[in-house]
Order: sequence, then C-alpha cells, then structure tokens
Amino acid sequence: MWVPKKIANWTLCGSLATACTGYIGDSGSSGGASPGAPGSPGAPGSPGAPGAPSPSPPVTGPAALLNLPATPIPTTGLHKLTAWEFANSLQDLLGSGVPLAPVEADTYINGFATVGASSVSISPAGVGTYESILGDATAYAFADATHAAAVLSCVPQSTTDPCVTQAIQAFGRRAFRRPLTTDETQLFVNLATSIGNQSGSGVLVGMRHAIWAILQSPQFLYRVELGAPSSADNGRVKYSSWEMASRLAATLWASVPDDTLLDAASQDALSTGADAVTQAQRMIADPRAHRSLAAFSDQLFDAFALSQADKDPMMYPAYTPTLRAAMLTEVELRMDDLVFTRKADYLTLFNSTSTFANQELAKFYGVPFTATDGAFHPVDLGAGTPRVGILGAAAILAGHAHAQLTSPTLRGKFVDNMLLCRTIPPPPPGVPPLPSTAPPGSTVRQILTAHRSAPVCAACHTLMDPLGFGMENFDSSGQYRTTDNGRPIDATGALDGVAFGDLADLGKAVMNNPVTGTCLVSNMYENALGRAPVAVDANELNALANQFSAAGNHVDQLLINLVGNDGFRFVTPM
Amino acid sequence: MAIFGRNGISRRTVLRGVLAGGASVIIPLPRLGGMLNGNGTAYANGTPLPVRFGFWFFGNGIIPSRWVPNATGVGSAWTLSEELAPLLEVKPWLSVVTGMDVKVPDSAAHASFPACALSGANNGQKTMLLPSIDQVVAQLIGGGTTFPTGIPIGIGNSSGGTALGDIMSFSGVNQPNPPYFSPTTVFQKLVQFASTSSPTPPDPELLRRQMVLDAVTTEANALRAKLGTEDQQRLDRHLQGIQQLQTQIMRAQGPKVNGTLVDPDKAYPNRGTDGSLTRARCQAFNELLVFALSTDLTRIFGYTFTPPASFQSYADCGLGTGGFHGDYGHRQSPKGPAYATAGMNTGVRFAMTNLADLLTSMKNTPDGASTLLDNAVVYTTSCTSESQTHSPLDFPLLVSGKGGGKLKGDQHIRLVGDNTTKVLYSIYQLFGGTAPTFGLAEGQVSSGVPELLA
Repeated sequence: MWVPKKIANWTLCGSLATACTGYIGDSGSSGGASPGAPGSPGAPGSPGAPGAPSPSPPVTGPAALLNLPATPIPTTGLHKLTAWEFANSLQDLLGSGVPLAPVEADTYINGFATVGASSVSISPAGVGTYESILGDATAYAFADATHAAAVLSCVPQSTTDPCVTQAIQAFGRRAFRRPLTTDETQLFVNLATSIGNQSGSGVLVGMRHAIWAILQSPQFLYRVELGAPSSADNGRVKYSSWEMASRLAATLWASVPDDTLLDAASQDALSTGADAVTQAQRMIADPRAHRSLAAFSDQLFDAFALSQADKDPMMYPAYTPTLRAAMLTEVELRMDDLVFTRKADYLTLFNSTSTFANQELAKFYGVPFTATDGAFHPVDLGAGTPRVGILGAAAILAGHAHAQLTSPTLRGKFVDNMLLCRTIPPPPPGVPPLPSTAPPGSTVRQILTAHRSAPVCAACHTLMDPLGFGMENFDSSGQYRTTDNGRPIDATGALDGVAFGDLADLGKAVMNNPVTGTCLVSNMYENALGRAPVAVDANELNALANQFSAAGNHVDQLLINLVGNDGFRFVTPM
Repeated sequence: MAIFGRNGISRRTVLRGVLAGGASVIIPLPRLGGMLNGNGTAYANGTPLPVRFGFWFFGNGIIPSRWVPNATGVGSAWTLSEELAPLLEVKPWLSVVTGMDVKVPDSAAHASFPACALSGANNGQKTMLLPSIDQVVAQLIGGGTTFPTGIPIGIGNSSGGTALGDIMSFSGVNQPNPPYFSPTTVFQKLVQFASTSSPTPPDPELLRRQMVLDAVTTEANALRAKLGTEDQQRLDRHLQGIQQLQTQIMRAQGPKVNGTLVDPDKAYPNRGTDGSLTRARCQAFNELLVFALSTDLTRIFGYTFTPPASFQSYADCGLGTGGFHGDYGHRQSPKGPAYATAGMNTGVRFAMTNLADLLTSMKNTPDGASTLLDNAVVYTTSCTSESQTHSPLDFPLLVSGKGGGKLKGDQHIRLVGDNTTKVLYSIYQLFGGTAPTFGLAEGQVSSGVPELLA
C-alpha cells in the first residue's frame, strides 16, 4: 500500500552544505511562524491565534523523554477521511472492485496525515473531485440488481417498497457510523423515490443517487466525533458508543465500522475501556487490521519521502519504479510480519535481518532468491550482512537521500523525528550563508563536518548528522558501498553517548535507547487521536508505555491497550 | 458564509429555464460575445470588462545579479536582464520590481518567504496564515463566475517537502487549494461549458446531480449547528464547494461560451506525465487557462511552475536528471560550481520562457477591443531570492498585464530595502480592496507601490 506522506524535509535548505541557513526542523516537523494556529476566516489581518498554554504538572515517567509541549488540546471534532481511509471505506461499503481515483492530497503534520486530517478542509475543487469519484463508484455498485444486492441490505423492487427505507437506513448507519435520524432517513428516501419515479429511471437509479448523496455528505467524508460531558466521569467530555465505533474502525481498520461494532454501539456497549478492548481483540484478528497497520507503517517510515525520492538514472540505473515500489512493500511486510505473524518485540525490528523481497529487490540486495512468481517471499539477509535492521531497508535509505548524493542530515533527521520523537529546533532567523570549506573530492561526511564548524549550524546539525553517518555505507539509492568519492566510508558516530561503528551498531543504539519504545507508543497515540500528544497526555502515555515495555513491546497489544485507554476514549485526558 | 463576492449573481444576466425533470432553475449566464457593447470595451449595460488575476510561482529563486535589470525607468530607459530576457515579447506589459525584501523571519526555509510573498504573512504549520493573494482577489472579483475561487494549476510536483508542500494557494488557515496537475482533468471540467458543433439534448442526470447536492447541503447544514467555530469554518468551505459545483452543473445546461478549447490529449499527446516539468505541459495548461479566463468562466488562477525548494528534474531544458534544488539552487552539481551556476541560470530562464508563453498567449487573445493581457494582472514570485543562501533580499517580483488600463507596464522599479508586501497591497487595491493594511507582523504594510500604476 502506498501512502503519500509529507514529513518535513528540512535539509532542503541544505541538502548538504547550506543546510543550516534555513529550515532545519521544527517542533511539528513542518515549520511555521505559528504552529498549531487554530482556524480562522483567513481574512487579511485576522489569522487564528494560538491558544494559551494550559497549566500542567511536570511530566514524569517514560513520557518525560518525549518533551511534550504544554499546549492546549485542539477542540476540533471533524476528522476528514485520509485518502486511504476513504478508499478503504468505499471498498468496504461498495465492494472491493469499486473504481477508485485520487482524492485531494492529504496534509501531513508531524509526519501523520491523520493529524492533518483533523484541521484541514476540503477545497471547492476537492469537493468536485469527490462528487466525480463517488459518481463512478455508485454507478459501478448499482450497475445491476446483482451488484446492488451486494451493497444493500435488501434490493427494492419499486419506489414504494418498504425495502427502500430499510436499505437506506442500513447503508446510512455504516456510512455515517451511527443511525440516520428520522429527518435524514426521510431526506434520502425522498431523494431515492423522487429520482426513481422519474421517466426513464427506476428504483435502483433512485437508490444509487441516494447512496451517492450519503457518500458525499460531510458526515461520511468526515468522522464526526464531538463527545459529550459524562456525569459518570466527573463531567469529562467522553465519546459516545457510536463515536467509539467510529474511532475503533478508523484506528484498527482505517475504515468504517462493521455491523457487529455498530450493534454493540446500539447497546451502548462501547462505553467502557473494557468494552473497547473486547472489540479490539476481535478487530485486530480481522484482515482489515493489516490495512491500518500498513498505513501507519507508511507514515512512520516516511513513504512520502520515498515517493518523492527520484534518483539520477545515470548513477543508479537499478532504481526503477518497480524497485521503488518493492522497497515500500518490503517495509510494510516487515512490520506486518513483526506485529501479526511473529508477534515479536518491536525493538527487534532494529537488529533483525529477516525481511521480505521480490525478485527485483532480492537482486538489489544481493540475496539468494529462487522464486520467479513476482511475489514477495521471506528472505534472510544472513549473518554478516551490513544491512541490519529496519534502518537498512532501502526504502528508508533511498527515501532520505538526494538524487545523486546521500544525506546524513535527512537520514539522521528521520531517525530523530520518527523513531526517537525528537524535535530539531528551527534555526534562528537571519542565519548567514555558510559556504562549504571542504576541498573538492571530499566525502559527504567531510563536507558536513566542515559545515558544522560554524557554531550556529552545529547546534542543529549535531543532532542529526552523526546519526546519518551511521548509514553512510549505503548510497543514495540504498545500495551498499564501501567508498564515497573514492575514499573509504567512515560510518562511526554516537547516539546519546553510545558509540557506533556502522549501521548494525546504530540499529542497536536505537534499539537500546530508552525512548525508542515510548516513541512508538507516542506515534501510535498521535496517529489514533489525530493530534500531537501534549503534556496533559502524559499519564495516559505513561500507562501505555509501561504496559508496552512490561509485556515485551508487542505492537498488537499496544493497539488493543490504546483503544481502551482514556486518552482514546475521552476528548481530554485527566 | 460569503459564497459570492460583491459582484455576485445579481449583477449577471440570468436565464430562467425549465429542465428535463420539470424543475424551475436560474442559470447564471457565462459571458457571451453578444453581451458586449458595440465597440467591445464593456458589457452592453456599461459594466467594464473584468480584470483577471493570477499568480505565477516558480521555486528555487534566482541569481540576483543576472535577474535585476541594469537600468531603472520606463520604456526604452531599461532593458531586460539575462534571466528576464525570455520575456521580451511581453516587455510592454511587464513591471519588474527589484530591491524589495521579504521582511518575515525565515522560520521555515522555502516556506516563510513564499508564504509572505504570496500572502503578506509568514507560514503556519502546513498552511499559510492569511489567504494567498489569488484568494484575496477572488473574494473581490470572483463572485458570479463558474469557478469563483479560480483554477489552481501545478506543473512540477516535486515539492521538496517544505512546510507548504506543493500548495501555494490558500483561502485561509488550513484551507489549501491543491493544484491540478492533469490538464486532462481541467479540460474535462471546462469542456462542459464549451460550444459544440451540435446541440446536446437535455441530460436528466444533471438534474439528478443537483438533487443529490441539494440533499447533501441539507445534511451538511444540519451538521453545522452541532460544531464548534473552527469546524464550522471547515464545513462552510465544504458547502462553498458544493455550491460552486451546483453552479457549474446549472451552467452546463445553459448556453455555451464562445472560445476555442484545446484538448490537451490531442494537441499535446507527448507532453509528459502529470507532475513532470515540460514546456509542453505548460502550454497545454496555458491553452486551458486562456480559454477559461477569456470566456469569464473564471477570473482567477494560481499557477505553480515548480513548488518551493523543488527537487524537480529540469531535463526539458537540458539540465540532466539531477534535482534542481540541490544541483543548481545550491550549486552542488557533481560537475562543479561553475556548471551549477550556469545551470541555475538556465533553469530560471526556462521558467521565464514558460511564463512568457502564458503571457504571450494572453497577449494574443482578444478581449473586447483589447487583449486578455491588457485586462489582466499576473503576479510572479519565488520562494527565495538567491537560493544558495536562502536570501530574502532583492526578492524576485514581476507584475505583468495592464490591469484594465490601471497598470503602467514596461518599467523597472527599484525600491531597495522596501517591503515586498507593498506589491501585494497595490494589487489588492487595484481590484477594489479597501482595508487600510495588508499582511501580518513584519510582513504588514499600509501602502503600496504607486509607481506600478498608470
């Protein structure tokens, strides 16, 4: 599954030598004068103003390593479906063969489209795109009675058939993730019957247009999760069972709920953490869970960067479109295998040599591979391979490099941001340009070392470059190498005082770093909630992090614990 | 919620018609040749011809020493610089403004400066903090047209991953207007309004789409009452989109516009893939834009040649396959700094060549008694000045067109150290804006550039 991703690429400024003169990083990985500014009409001179920080006690426990900001929790209750949530939902509602086309691109904040989806709006042109796509999709789904029978709970025979109402109510419940109101039912039934009664039309034509309307409604295109004060919870704003069904389906399936989930909601049987956990245990065993994990994996490992990472074909002829796609699939399969098949410790992702490849990727990796079916198969890169752990995945190496040269800065930034939850401060305004003082023929490392000789640049680059140096044995395309510009590679470095000599050592250092497990917890929390964690989330994150580490860092269990956590069930944690 | 600006439907001729389904509707007419006065200088009722506006943005900046013309002045007093030379044919319509600086801090490389150059304010988190100038002007003049918020166009899609990505048009905070990268898509949107050789029978499906959208609007309005302010604004924008779509569906059933609509798949079959940077792709889009502007289907466009910090390959102008941002913008080509500098220059000239293509097409398109370029303002800027150093100084700023007679053109104005937002403010005022200031914080100004005006 390919997911476009827009993590900040803050070595743009520099690519290499001038990286310090501009956007080196930011607390939200996207930069800006006023991060997190709430929406505003946008009239000249009237921007949204950030809210005042809310008081909160000092953060302790594992979450203390996350440097959570003391900013208020956004109050938005509309979560636009991400591109993949929209596609998955359509497939679940209208059938797997439904025609799909790209919708308006997602906005990635902190590396997560799910976060951007909580604040961004759809443009007028984007609304037209939805109309067009959904027109084609519903035309497919209602091509004939056989198709319609697969979509509707019953197939009406005429516009006066009670099945019209029944089918609209059943479909609407899944699409809106709650029962239709009486007014809504009447609205869509009237639409179906009035169109169905037109000359040359028919009841299925009417039903198709009613479904088209339901799917164009913002109540489908956005998850509406507002919460309400709960007297049983000291007035805290809590999500209803219906809203929990919506949240569970989005988080665990990246789609709409099924009838089992909605039936539970109708009984108010999703109101407790235990209720959510019970459902999650069922849902995580469902094939749909693989889709949401792949989407999370794509965001975590920055699939968007890979999608943008064109290479010089003269230098890297092996870097074909099919190889690039295989690189991404490898990472998804590796994560899927870890979580669902082997149910292994997340941290082993950083020192494992077991992965997946198709013929083209296996050839690129230089690993024996006999299958010729074009499919991916498990492979082991073998003892002594330099390509150890997920950091050796070509998707990460190629995704965070330039067209011709590597970028230890980009690679280090990726590790910092997504795996260690560290933010690189933005450079101070007005940093002067710094021409490289490295002589011609220098290695990338030598150029960057010269660049860091300026203290104003070193402040940022020292946080990133040394981690990236550990990946220098892999060129811009992700291929192994021993020299750069004719000189031997120096892949030594240090992470928090832990020295490493190559990629394998770097992987161990990341694996053993105390924040790595908690960072994954934080990222999953952020992805599920659609907002960045803040200081008041600390208790919830600590609970999840402690559970995660105590139980052996199993991601499937983390997902289950997460949806039962108060941070997931309440608008505002305690 | 203001769907239409002050020049709304009420000012336009409307057609009352009866559709196939029997519903009575009001169809605002697009502009027709017969609606102009005898000499083609205004509508028959005396209303002046509309002035169109668009921005034309290119990433990675310039080399100031090769961009800034040697002399200032008007007409023969100045000549085009090396990097501006491709604009020779439209020099009489061109105002080059140099010496101005983007005043906001560089808090996000390749995002702070273009955000300010297009909106007068620094950027926010994946957003602009103020509407970009195209949307500001759209609020003033876009109302009543078929595409009131304009047509956003994107040529190269290698964004460089800045805080703005490949989106340079925003209607407000978190209100992006992503560009179309496919000329085919834009053609399909426009063709329903174009005249055809034979009349088409009424399509009942158009009425059904209207009925569907009516139901969606009812549903959305019911939701709106439950939402907080921020979510209401997001929903309002959605409703705005639905209303625009309804207008388009209505007009697709009404009289067609005059004009030549070129099918990009027939005229430019080898233009390159969507998102690639080729002159043929630009030309395909130029044809569509000129059609939409000259027929008054829209008065607004946002044209992103390349996004900020674009790593796009400029192979179409002979620069090989390396990423432009690193190899040339930062002069890091493996072939050395001299090659890189020459390549940077080539890339900027290539950008200006493509801008010239659009402006020339507008110049060659009659618009009443004058030309489309006479009745337009096209604002051009970039994400930095000298890209190697991310300089905000001596920023690239071009104002093209005669603005319906309000712009002087054919001049080089040098205002060293002044605020780039002043150019935006002048554009805003030209289109009738009356706010006393424009922009935010360091980007804010309270006066424009009077030298631009005729």
